[in-house]
Amino acid sequence: MKKFLNDPKRVVPELLEGFALAYPEKVRLSGTNTVVRANPKAAGKVRLVTLGGSGHEPGLSGFVGTGMLDCSVAGEIFSAPGAPKCIEALREACAGGKSALLVVLNHAGDVLSANITMEMALREGLNVKMVLTEEDISNPPGDRRGLVGCVAVYKVAGAAAEKGAPLDKCFEIADRMQRNMRTLAVAVRTATHPSTGNPIFELGDDEMEIGMGQHGEAGTGRMQLKTADETAEIMLEKLLEDLGVTPGEELLVLLNGAGATTLMELYLVFRKVAKLLESKGIKLARSIIGEFITTQEQAGFQMMIARMDAELLELWDASADAPFFAKP
Amino acid sequence: MFAGAAKLIQENCDALSQLDCIGGDGDHGAKMLRVMEKLEAAIDPASERGTASLLKEAGWTIMGVDGGASSAILGTLIAGMGDVELGEEIDCGCIARSFDAGLRAVATRTKAKPGDKTMMDALVPAVEALGAAASAGKSIACAMSDAAAAAQMGAESTKDLVARYGRAKYLGEKTLGHPDAGATSIALLFRGFSAALAPEQEN
Repeated sequence: MKKFLNDPKRVVPELLEGFALAYPEKVRLSGTNTVVRANPKAAGKVRLVTLGGSGHEPGLSGFVGTGMLDCSVAGEIFSAPGAPKCIEALREACAGGKSALLVVLNHAGDVLSANITMEMALREGLNVKMVLTEEDISNPPGDRRGLVGCVAVYKVAGAAAEKGAPLDKCFEIADRMQRNMRTLAVAVRTATHPSTGNPIFELGDDEMEIGMGQHGEAGTGRMQLKTADETAEIMLEKLLEDLGVTPGEELLVLLNGAGATTLMELYLVFRKVAKLLESKGIKLARSIIGEFITTQEQAGFQMMIARMDAELLELWDASADAPFFAKP
Repeated sequence: MFAGAAKLIQENCDALSQLDCIGGDGDHGAKMLRVMEKLEAAIDPASERGTASLLKEAGWTIMGVDGGASSAILGTLIAGMGDVELGEEIDCGCIARSFDAGLRAVATRTKAKPGDKTMMDALVPAVEALGAAASAGKSIACAMSDAAAAAQMGAESTKDLVARYGRAKYLGEKTLGHPDAGATSIALLFRGFSAALAPEQEN
């Protein structure tokens, strides 16, 4: 493993420190391994809090900023943070009668921590609601992981909160976005775990795996590597079918590079997606390509589609200013 | 007792991580090391506070290790053990009740049961063995030795199971033939407890 590291045991506090030092006008560190906005929003507005393992940078702390997250609690590499840090973050966010929406990605550790945290929060009378993202289609409903779709939830719910919407409304927006988005991932080359140096999964030289999770969890479709067009088509068809998209509907399409896949490749994939949508009479309303939730130097990408309505589009378009997600 | 368990985990942490490579991302050993450091530090025999209160705090500190599902479950186990008041005289029945309370706390957090290829495959048999030993009037050392054996059998049995929880469940059949890292570390934990409680006995 050839990575620029110091002591692998200190990777998380050091990476967060570096991140906060790079964007001091937008974020600052709070407590341990927690990132908050440098300039908090007005007291009456709902706070957006999230939690998740590190190693997926810029996710999740890169989305702390105006119009998006107010707080991100970071765990160790690929491991959810424990309830102690999460309840601390919620207490901070809700101090003085403020409200918070906790956005949790469906992974075993994240959900365990979030459940313990929410129980405590409710017992303490904090004004919090929780949204669980579970849009990965590679497993049956009820057993789906939360992948890059969380970014869309942060954006629209964050915009609603910034506009002054009350907690129930922010929750409703987040929930609507969650229910109307679907993601599918593909991996072609493994990453190495920064703490252990070990590869996180194995894949043959000419193989790709559709449906792989964010930490190397197996998907359902290991096959020979296909072209950009073929891969795009396979994935888009599955997503459209699962979401039940019909002609005339409007979609947001997000392509998320896993860390080692080039923009060149993502552009090729997107090209096919756009052409396919057009041929089906489905409107490509908004699109975005980038690296939002990576898995170290894994090669592959996640394709996310979301059914948009007028309100969600307006919230998607609203301005935001986080280090790794900004709209004027 | 906790120090004995910590030592055993330390000696085996690389092996644990290796196991975790198949079903997970290979960092279970490192996580368990962090958990045991906190556990050892928290259960201070010189402390004036009651054991139950120390256990509750230790459980919370373990969750603070940020080790995902592993530290959440272990933290819940230890904190749950603190739900039972332990008086001045700790006998086998007390120990059994304490671990049982811990197990019940864990059961409120997860639906995983023996057979799902998780820590529960080692934890449930261990706690049952403690209960049986206590009912049979055995000494604490004997009871813990029974528990360690039961946990070991449970952990080994996970080799032939397909994972149904956690990250490993997405690997399906690929997890067959390899024991679960979490169950293995629970077995090590109980073996460490047993070793510490019975230094004159052979392990």
